[in-house]
Amino acid sequence: MAPGVLQATDWGFILANWDTLALGVAVTVALTATSLTLGFALGFPSGAIEVYGDGWLASTVNTAGVVLRGTPIVVLIVLFFFGLPIPRLGTVPVVDMQLNGFVAATLALGLRSAAYQAQVFRGSIQSISGGQLEAARSVGMTKLQAIRHVVFPQAVRRSLPGFQNEFTIVLKDTSVAIAIGLAELLTRAERLYLQPGRDTAVIEVIITISAIYFVLTFTTNRTLDYVHSRYAIPGGNS
Amino acid sequence: MSLLRVDSVDKSYGDEPVLHDVSFAMDRQNVEVIVGPSGSGKSTLLRCVNRLTEIDGGEIFLDDEEIHSVDENELRRRVGMVFQDFNLFAHLTARGNITLGLREVLGLSKEEANAKADDYLDRVGLADQAESYPAELSGGQQQRVGIARALAMDPELILFDEPTSALDPELIGEVLTVMEDLADGGMTMLCVTHEMGFARSAASTITFLDDGEIVERGPPEQLFEDPEHDRTRTFLGELTDLHQ
Repeated sequence: MAPGVLQATDWGFILANWDTLALGVAVTVALTATSLTLGFALGFPSGAIEVYGDGWLASTVNTAGVVLRGTPIVVLIVLFFFGLPIPRLGTVPVVDMQLNGFVAATLALGLRSAAYQAQVFRGSIQSISGGQLEAARSVGMTKLQAIRHVVFPQAVRRSLPGFQNEFTIVLKDTSVAIAIGLAELLTRAERLYLQPGRDTAVIEVIITISAIYFVLTFTTNRTLDYVHSRYAIPGGNS
Repeated sequence: MSLLRVDSVDKSYGDEPVLHDVSFAMDRQNVEVIVGPSGSGKSTLLRCVNRLTEIDGGEIFLDDEEIHSVDENELRRRVGMVFQDFNLFAHLTARGNITLGLREVLGLSKEEANAKADDYLDRVGLADQAESYPAELSGGQQQRVGIARALAMDPELILFDEPTSALDPELIGEVLTVMEDLADGGMTMLCVTHEMGFARSAASTITFLDDGEIVERGPPEQLFEDPEHDRTRTFLGELTDLHQ
């Protein structure tokens, strides 16, 4: 074959190093989980504040969202890693990962996800008819009760497709942690093919981790599809 | 003593006056029907009574208590409302729509609330639809659930805001039947409606509202047969023709 054409023949190298990649998957999955959790914990209330809040709280949330959505994720992750006074937290033994890098990556991915999740929830909350809120208030429920028992349960259901999107984005974007050398899947893959004296198996490694990212997003999306249909409102369109 | 007394109520939306010096009183077990052209302030008047809209001037008394001296949630528990667009909680079954208020506002246990909800669903002829979701029900069935939801709170007064206006013609009858049953049962009802048949048969008093002011008020016979004002005659005549 002519030089320059992609060749992939060294699959034995992948098999020999599967444990390295497996540990990378563990870090990637863990980082996705912590980032999405942080994103949800901050994003859900932020979406509600954007709809129902006013004053300094709403404008703070709004401004933070604009800044976070307007900054490249690599910039955020590098900024948090080098710019935040995160104490040296040591190394996680089995996966051989710097904990403060993990914290910086979680903050960057989590805060940015919060900014996007807030928009998903804001849209879902606003899509619930105001008439239902009035009906709840008309039987004597407080505004908080009405929001909690009538608006939120429906808004969360409508948020699922948007959340699913956000999940896929966060999972794939954990790979930008390569910028701070965090030992997630892409970083470990790179270390494999950049080993001194080696210049083969680059394509094999990249194809393998692409497949792993695909399997992770595909299975989770299918699971969330199931959750969405399982909790769909009978007869409804959401 | 009147159950509801509206005294010199004024309301504007911005510079747009909606209600001007509106006064009337209604007794317990009476059915008051408010009619008037669209934009005349009928719905606004209704919404002022349970404070979904706040008045700019005047006073409204429920059971001799000024409604602004009562906690708004307590007021709304005592004054039910049925909406033109039903406004059922889309994620809850017919039963769930009724039990939510019973549990959250009245603090009933799950069993008590379910039993009460089923009782009221039975009263509006929907005992077999307790497990159905709003999107699975026809408009007429949804509105009957809406009525049951209001009734179950044991209100002293129910406000009906054009309860049949969003319904297909063939579904109007089942809702009016429920409303007539309520009226016969002694429920105090304040209704905005264009259903002249219902107004004629069930109303104790009809109020004709135009341009935010009460033009004329009286028993159905008087307003339909011998109104004082030509505006009343013209409006009621047109409505009656329209619905024949």
